[in-house]
Amino acid sequence: MAQKETDKKTGSGTGKLARNQRICAVLSVIPAALIIASVKAWPIIQTVWHSFTNWDGLYKNDFVGLANYRTFISTGLFSKLLGNSLFLLISVPAQVLIGILVAVLLYEKTAGWKAFRSIYYIPQIISLVILGYLFKSMFSQNGPINQILMLLGFIKTPVEWLAKGTTALPVLTICITWYSVGWQVIMILGGMSSIDPQVFEAAKIDGANFFTRIFKIIIPMISSTLTYCVVMSVVWTFTSLFSLIYSMTNGGPGYETMTLDYMVYARSFLKGDQFGFACAVAVVLLIIVMIITFINLRISKAAEKEWG
Amino acid sequence: MKKKTPMARLGRAVIFIVLVALALTFLYPLFFMFSNSLKTLGGYYRDPFGLPKEALEWNNFFIMIRQFKIFKLFGNTLIVSLATVIGLIVFGVPASYAFSKVRFPGGDALYFAILATLFIPVQVTIIPMYVTFAKLKLVDNFFSVILANWAAFLPETIMLMTAMFKSIPNALLEAAEIDGCNYLQRLLHIIVPMGRPAISLTVIIFFINSWNDLFTPMILLKSTEKRTVIVALSSLVGRYSGDPPFQYAGLLLSAIPALIIYIIFQKRIIDGMSMGAVK
Repeated sequence: MAQKETDKKTGSGTGKLARNQRICAVLSVIPAALIIASVKAWPIIQTVWHSFTNWDGLYKNDFVGLANYRTFISTGLFSKLLGNSLFLLISVPAQVLIGILVAVLLYEKTAGWKAFRSIYYIPQIISLVILGYLFKSMFSQNGPINQILMLLGFIKTPVEWLAKGTTALPVLTICITWYSVGWQVIMILGGMSSIDPQVFEAAKIDGANFFTRIFKIIIPMISSTLTYCVVMSVVWTFTSLFSLIYSMTNGGPGYETMTLDYMVYARSFLKGDQFGFACAVAVVLLIIVMIITFINLRISKAAEKEWG
Repeated sequence: MKKKTPMARLGRAVIFIVLVALALTFLYPLFFMFSNSLKTLGGYYRDPFGLPKEALEWNNFFIMIRQFKIFKLFGNTLIVSLATVIGLIVFGVPASYAFSKVRFPGGDALYFAILATLFIPVQVTIIPMYVTFAKLKLVDNFFSVILANWAAFLPETIMLMTAMFKSIPNALLEAAEIDGCNYLQRLLHIIVPMGRPAISLTVIIFFINSWNDLFTPMILLKSTEKRTVIVALSSLVGRYSGDPPFQYAGLLLSAIPALIIYIIFQKRIIDGMSMGAVK
């Protein structure tokens, strides 16, 4: 495999110049490496250590072995939270599919497609806290959603969407999908821009209909973009829902909309004394994230091999 | 070229309507916040969906500015967000230059280690981080949030910049070296100007991220004068749950700075984001 010209690096060799280069390079990575090591890597190690203790942030800090993990699992809490996250992951295929459909519609040169693209991305710019409060009023007892559904005759009396376990999680999934579609559209359009437009024209002339074009041409040709979209969305669902859950449901009712990242907060800073247990929850989250990171790495390595 | 049949034209119209309907769902929340923030409480409960029918109630905004001191909160958030992105550039650009263009001992391993922490959320590190900051008397100090943001965003910054710096032609760097430019001069006169798209994307994206963040500033900043606008807002919404128009005024005001940045830089953001996906 021939190395691309731009992949070449300086600094190899034994001359004085090359040595100088290497010293400069080491000096330029030190500040960033120190920050990541001390404010990210070291706290991770501390979290792992404290997950084996009954730490309360103040007095107690004894080694308790796997007790926190055992409690987390035996109370059914772990499977509850994992189940919630897995349910929320339904949003990922929904986002990607809607994203593909919309991207293709925009790609086929709909008038004003750039304006549409910019509008679809707006939710990503607004804080999830703000959107969460808006969702909450949209789905509230006298909110627009209930009024519209009653007007259309789907329901007779207003539904308390976020106060019921059976509806809160699906509502959250819908909100996440709505929030993420714009991001998917941008990513997928980016992937599609690298396909030769003649491929589409040829397919159209050959009489391939809309769905054939999507499934037989577009999806296979942007598979690496789609993989990226799916991986990022899965990670995001596990790690970035705090603001939304904080503003919409606080994890409730009960534990119905609680996720691992919110649980860390609920057992440490919110109630304030189960730091050891919260650390164990954080470690479980860490393990899940590392598994996804590893899978992602394998996928991108495989893609590199395939494409050279 | 085939002439467009009526069916094809109908299809186009349907597609256009679907796209417009979708766009409306994304614009509606902004409209909803704006129109309701201008209503009296009574006006809101009579009709939460339509435009204000009575005289416009600008008072909610005046209260936000005078009593709630929203500009002071903007100031706090601006300090945190600006310092965050300045640090990302100051630490991220040299590191990415080294990772993308120089072979040095441990370089690849270090780059790999940094990328391994990419997806790890701040919830995993926040508890020990908080305790350490408390010991160092850094809690309730903007610097703690800034430092936490640096650690959270540097891996992604470095990944983005390293990928983009790799495409800067080596011939340019070699020519500069022959002309007598040293390492730092090459960084400042070639990498920085050539890498501008990656650098400006980092600045915009992470400025907006820090502006919109809730978790880190909520945990690390305790006093009311130090809070960022989103943190203050989230406690305000709880306290004034009986006065939605007032809440909407606050929600809208705090969204505006990020929206203005988006309106100005949308092309750069969208082009940059989609470039990342193609790789």
